[in-house]
Amino acid sequence: MTQPAPRSPTAASAAVELSAVSKTFTARHGSVVALQDITLTVARGEFVSLIGPSGCGKSTLLRIIADLLRPSSGGVAVNGKPARVARQDQDYGIAFQQAGLLDWRTVAANVELPLELHGVGRRQRRARAIELLELVGLAEFAKHRPPQLSGGMQQRVAIARALAERPALLLMDEPFGALDEMTRERMQNELVRIAGETGAAVVFVTHSIPEAVFLSDRVVVMSPRPGRIAETIAVSLGDRTDDTREAPQFYAAITQVREALRGRPVPDTVEVGVAVDRAVRAQGAL
Amino acid sequence: MSRTLGRWAGRTVLVVLALAVVLGAWEAYKDWGPKNGVTIAGARILPRTSDAAMPHLSTIWKAFGADEVGGAITLGPAKSVLDSVVSAGLHTLRWAAAGFAIGVVVGMLLALLMDRLRLAERALMPYVVLSQTVPLIALAPLVTKWGQGSSIGSFRWQPWMSVSVIAAYLAFFPVAVGMVRGLKSPSAVHAEYFRSSAAGWWRTLVRLKLPASVPFLVPALRLAAAGAVVGTIVAEISTGLDGGIGRLIITYSQQATGDPSRVYAAVIGAAVLGLVAAAAVTLVDLALWRYSRGADAR
Repeated sequence: MTQPAPRSPTAASAAVELSAVSKTFTARHGSVVALQDITLTVARGEFVSLIGPSGCGKSTLLRIIADLLRPSSGGVAVNGKPARVARQDQDYGIAFQQAGLLDWRTVAANVELPLELHGVGRRQRRARAIELLELVGLAEFAKHRPPQLSGGMQQRVAIARALAERPALLLMDEPFGALDEMTRERMQNELVRIAGETGAAVVFVTHSIPEAVFLSDRVVVMSPRPGRIAETIAVSLGDRTDDTREAPQFYAAITQVREALRGRPVPDTVEVGVAVDRAVRAQGAL
Repeated sequence: MSRTLGRWAGRTVLVVLALAVVLGAWEAYKDWGPKNGVTIAGARILPRTSDAAMPHLSTIWKAFGADEVGGAITLGPAKSVLDSVVSAGLHTLRWAAAGFAIGVVVGMLLALLMDRLRLAERALMPYVVLSQTVPLIALAPLVTKWGQGSSIGSFRWQPWMSVSVIAAYLAFFPVAVGMVRGLKSPSAVHAEYFRSSAAGWWRTLVRLKLPASVPFLVPALRLAAAGAVVGTIVAEISTGLDGGIGRLIITYSQQATGDPSRVYAAVIGAAVLGLVAAAAVTLVDLALWRYSRGADAR
């Protein structure tokens, strides 16, 4: 059963602490081990990506951190508290692949939603929403409704909403997965800036190797079924700019992650990206 | 908003046109159709064109102005057929409104219960569906009997209440079914978001589920309003309640050998009631436009 998180909340406690977390889904025809023995610590302000083929349990892991799912065994602490308490205390903000905005509310009212749910006064909510919309560059769209915005803009609103309560932790489940490549890179740049400005730790689930490398301090590579941590790769690219995407260290880190994903060195080929993506997909389909 | 206005104007023109086509067809058939109607293998497909079966529109129009003769029971002094129809229509409308209100409240409560408890949905839904297969005519005498003579304190059961209950019986069904679907309509990502925000049942209901159910609720209300009117008229007839349009239709049809145009006058009155009910729901729809899907188009 779930072990209660051992630590008491202190300023020094990590943003996320997972100790020997396992998750087994029981279906009608037997059970599936989704996660096995995951131990991971995310420091305050650290950006950690979870990457792996489909079905490796990375989204499950994110949902366990968010207390949307209970682990079958192991301990989960967020900000030094048990995950459930952290959820109730709103210690994290969350964004999914779909923006998940409420169409009947204005953009500003969507950003205010979490504050409204937790009884923050109207004037304070307004002020915070304006601040956040400025942060994500959508101040002039405050009065629009979500269906009037593009996918990328909606996702920015969702990120603003996730940041509304100044969480020390941001959980993101493929938030840019549905965006086109150009928008995606722009959003990545913005996320790096926002994470830097807010000082929030981020756990970021993605399929994309360059995305994981560009964004992260550490990339956690997971293997499929049962989901385990195959390797953890530290990335040190310094300040991220558009030039970072052309830097040799960037490519080196990408290669490193690729190798970890395949479990062996990548063969020399021009179309490595395509080949690896294909391999990853094939692996996921197994 | 001006685009909305334009759309409404366009719609109104269409409705008027459609009405004109129907009225024109009626008159054309009366004048040029075969006298004995059209029968195929003994079954009459189109009616006779005699004055008894199809009075001229002008005759029906004049019937409204005709003096009321004895026999038509209305609650209040009626001088002309129009007075009778209006007075009866207002009574029926009031009873239907009461039935609609009861039906909507009961339907919503049932939907909330079924949404909250999976077990309740599995247990109740078959009966909700089954309830609509019981013929109203069979139900009416039962409801009347249950109601008769019952009183709580100074409250005494009135005959019209039985009629409203029967109307509610028709009205609750679409509301319950539509609302359950509506309450379940938020996508997984919304449900997860609200859960991650530690929003309890009530806040999730008010901020997410109720707004999300509006696009399902409005058509359900439209059906319920029509159902309440039909239910009231049928219940008036089967419980023998005086003063409403249902009773008026019966009274006039008993006199119909002499003057069929009066039956049509009453039927038109009933149709207008249906329109009034639909219009009332449209007002609700307009008030809730923000929550209707596709609100972005406005």
